Amino acid sequence: MLTLLKHELKQEYKSLIIWSLSVGGIGLLCICLFTAMTDDMASLSESFSNMGAFSDAFGMSTLGIGTIAGFFATEVGTVHSLGSAMYAAITATLILSKEEDGHTGEFLYSLPVSRFKAVTAKLISLLITITMFTVITGILYAIGFCVIDEAPDTGLFVRFMLSQALMDVEIMLICTAFSAFQKKNMLGAGLGMSLVLYAFDLMGRVIPDLKDALFIGPFSYSNASEIFAEKDIAGSAYVFGIAVMVGAVILTYAKYMKKDLAS
Amino acid sequence: MGEKVLEIKNLTKHYGKHRGVEDVSFSVKEGDIFGFLGPNGAGKSTTIRSILGFLKYEGSISVFGMDARYEHEKILKDVGYMPSEAMFYPAMKVRDVVKLAADIRGLDCSEEAGMLFERLKVDTGRRINELSLGNRKKVSIVCAMQHKPKLFIFDEPTSGLDPLMQNTFFELIEEYVTGGATCLLSTHVLPEVKKYCKNVAIMREGHLVGTGSVAELMHTNSKRVAAVIDGRREEYLYSGDMNSLIEKLSHGDVSELTVTDPSIDEIFMGYYSEQGN
Repeated sequence: MLTLLKHELKQEYKSLIIWSLSVGGIGLLCICLFTAMTDDMASLSESFSNMGAFSDAFGMSTLGIGTIAGFFATEVGTVHSLGSAMYAAITATLILSKEEDGHTGEFLYSLPVSRFKAVTAKLISLLITITMFTVITGILYAIGFCVIDEAPDTGLFVRFMLSQALMDVEIMLICTAFSAFQKKNMLGAGLGMSLVLYAFDLMGRVIPDLKDALFIGPFSYSNASEIFAEKDIAGSAYVFGIAVMVGAVILTYAKYMKKDLAS
Repeated sequence: MGEKVLEIKNLTKHYGKHRGVEDVSFSVKEGDIFGFLGPNGAGKSTTIRSILGFLKYEGSISVFGMDARYEHEKILKDVGYMPSEAMFYPAMKVRDVVKLAADIRGLDCSEEAGMLFERLKVDTGRRINELSLGNRKKVSIVCAMQHKPKLFIFDEPTSGLDPLMQNTFFELIEEYVTGGATCLLSTHVLPEVKKYCKNVAIMREGHLVGTGSVAELMHTNSKRVAAVIDGRREEYLYSGDMNSLIEKLSHGDVSELTVTDPSIDEIFMGYYSEQGN
């Protein structure tokens, strides 16, 4: 299984480097621009905080974007949330279906490796890549803080990055379960799924009636503005998230162990 | 010949409403090169994919005395499979693909792989996406043979290979079989069957329509009759009483007559076609 895990990681490393450097690079650039924009931010901060539901949706009503914590949460936080969710969705959506879509399944599964071990190796490789993604982007953001010599609270920053990683793992597991049902690569569907979850969270914060249902989505417990504003995150969001993850893992194994592999 | 290496009993597989194979039973004995024949869509690949554990099926498949449904990981340690399409990870180099196959098996097959690379003239430094079908087939042969398996399963192995490589391929099979291996060879190429196989199974429309030794299946009462009668050339397969044939021919002016055994192609085409029964 270790060989298979190494093989998966080798296949994924280019994508990992591109995505983590892109998302982390944009974040780093944003952070570096903070000092230059401080004067403008002060005047914009008040305007942004008075935009009603949209200020709530992007957290600008609770955090002033004139501070590094507020700026990071509203600007970099959004980029990181979307970027990492899309990366997790794309990688996981292809992880199982690519063997059938690329006709490599006949090679792989004619070797003495059970589907259980193959799925396990692939899931572990996804967890490692998400962890690496979080570490690389985190380092790039930390470099940005060093460059401008200003940083948000370290504890909150670490909590934000860990919450994002957990959100990515949830999206990844949902998309892996989706991948188990596919014989063809459905990249668009996986990408769409992450964007729909993001849109759901955004709408939930704009539309008051949807607020109670926010905990369903993985973006609910990883919202940058709430974390940096030190707001309490509903425990139900974590419970639901963990239940979804466990369910997705069970579904993935149950489906993939039983399915007929396409030639 | 030795014990049964592969035994299929009442194998049935449907893809939803579509037929895959129905009630297929045959066995392959140790040391045999067993031909597996049939036209496209006859169910050969479905049978092979069931043996390898790619498909869920009804019936039973036993390989080396083990149930293929429950012990397929153990079984695959001693199986070398070459699929008809020979697809690999496109960005990988040939040597890395072959090493990956050996590593997953937990074996160091570098010596055998080296010998196979040399005999099949494989450029190990090239990437898979740079290779033609024939060259991918060669990589597939190396992956199937490098661990010296007890059972080879080949699905249309020679398509895409040049005649020289086809010869090398069969030389290799004969060497491994002499060394104790067994081979299930799914093919369309009937001269290959006649030349290399001892026993065959013939599939048509998901059913097994014939199984036995090549000699048995070749044995037929039919004769190919070619004659020029009253200046007109006639050629047909005749199965029946020879006296009746002579009687029938005597009514015309026979200027040429040859009566020969039908070719292997004709015999097997008989099994392939609807009228083959």
